[in-house]
Amino acid sequence: MKDSGVDGRIIGLFRSGDGVVSGAALSRLLGVSRTAVWKHVKGLRASGYLIEAVPSKGYRLLSSPKVLTQLDLSAGLATTRIGSSIICLKETESTNQVAFKLAEEGAAEGTVVIADAQTAGKGRLGRIWLSPPGVNLYCSVVLRPAIAPMAACQLTFLSVVAVARAIESCTSLKPQIKWPNDILINGKKVAGLLNEMNAETEKVNFVVLGIGVNLNLDMSSISESLLRHPATSLLEEGGAEVDRLAFTRALLLELDRLYDVFLAEGEAPVRAEWLERSAIKGRNVKVSQGEREFVGMVQGVDSFGALLVQLSDGKVETVLSGDVALV
Amino acid sequence: MDIKDLKMLIKMVTETDITEFELENADDKVVIKRGCSGTAQFQMQAPVAYQYAPAAPVAAAPAAAPAAAAAPAAAEKEQGEVITSPIVGTFYRAPAPDAAPFVEVGQIVEKGQVLCIVEAMKLMNEIEAEFKCKIVKICKENAQPVEYGDALFVVEKL
Repeated sequence: MKDSGVDGRIIGLFRSGDGVVSGAALSRLLGVSRTAVWKHVKGLRASGYLIEAVPSKGYRLLSSPKVLTQLDLSAGLATTRIGSSIICLKETESTNQVAFKLAEEGAAEGTVVIADAQTAGKGRLGRIWLSPPGVNLYCSVVLRPAIAPMAACQLTFLSVVAVARAIESCTSLKPQIKWPNDILINGKKVAGLLNEMNAETEKVNFVVLGIGVNLNLDMSSISESLLRHPATSLLEEGGAEVDRLAFTRALLLELDRLYDVFLAEGEAPVRAEWLERSAIKGRNVKVSQGEREFVGMVQGVDSFGALLVQLSDGKVETVLSGDVALV
Repeated sequence: MDIKDLKMLIKMVTETDITEFELENADDKVVIKRGCSGTAQFQMQAPVAYQYAPAAPVAAAPAAAPAAAAAPAAAEKEQGEVITSPIVGTFYRAPAPDAAPFVEVGQIVEKGQVLCIVEAMKLMNEIEAEFKCKIVKICKENAQPVEYGDALFVVEKL
């Protein structure tokens, strides 16, 4: 993990302890003077942390700011690659756009960009991902895998499986996966994933995984006319507010684990989990690719993740793009 | 040579980076060309189009005719460089269905400028110009499937 400085280590100590941490202990563990500890606590308070001074005992963290912060996300995050650097923004056009630009400028693998709100959240083909502040997660991750561009589309499965796992770890909901990377709960879309690649003919320079998850969005606040598909949030389906910080940390951890597996063993284990979760094998689907539409039965996915759809005449279509709906 | 041999041959060629293949013996002459030539263009209707359209993509000309078919491709090569697709996917000329295309024929583009998007599995791959150039030809229609190595643009290096 990146050393996030004294502030980060203070938050880390609050998290690992069980309540009050004495000023003397902070001073000793951080290797700074008591006065310096006090200054850092003051600084943290100014940035939205509620830290109580307990007389003659020490300090206690009561709450973190409502927005996600790099300090909260990084503290004790047990990842090897994802989150090597975390950038939290109040508002931006699109986290994918920011991450893409940072990656072009050389940002390291595992760089994470998070925004509290997006003014132009990016969907596929110029579509918009609704991104109001304070409720959801909008996050983009820079990866630099040493793979051929053709193999990079397999990373799509990686982010979708990570989101499904994170939902399961933070709620009792059962996410469903729709090819290739829609996440539905009770048939309604709860997450939007969009990946962008910068590659040369033989080499991937970087991939940006874009992940938007509706956590605590109040669906009654959203006009239906803005939605292309029925949408929902974890709050709406589970009936309880989701801790944004805990969810985001869980997601980064799952991404890291899956990426480790992907790099060590290839795409097969990730694809196997995707296939099991998607429950799409054997189902009839309608595929729409621009003007073209056809119906068939899903046989599985090939090693690139393309959907294999058997038509009524027995031929098998390999589907790499388009919209797929169960029929 | 029967249709089965021909299919096998096409399959073998399409699985490599070879863009042109010529075979001649006492009975047959076969020319297979991939990419941008107007006369011998692959009609990619699906990512594995060769399974469905075995006859269409090849110029399996009788021995007398093939020289003519080769000419346009050779001419294009001389006047331009071909930008090919690094992945199998769907070709998009514009960032959104109702948006203006990234580039048009005749346009001069700077190094690093986006030419198109190729999408596979919600992974959007923006293809950029690797050098300043003029767009001579756009080889694919919007939203058309493309294969790895398919020619997307013919450009003139400036």
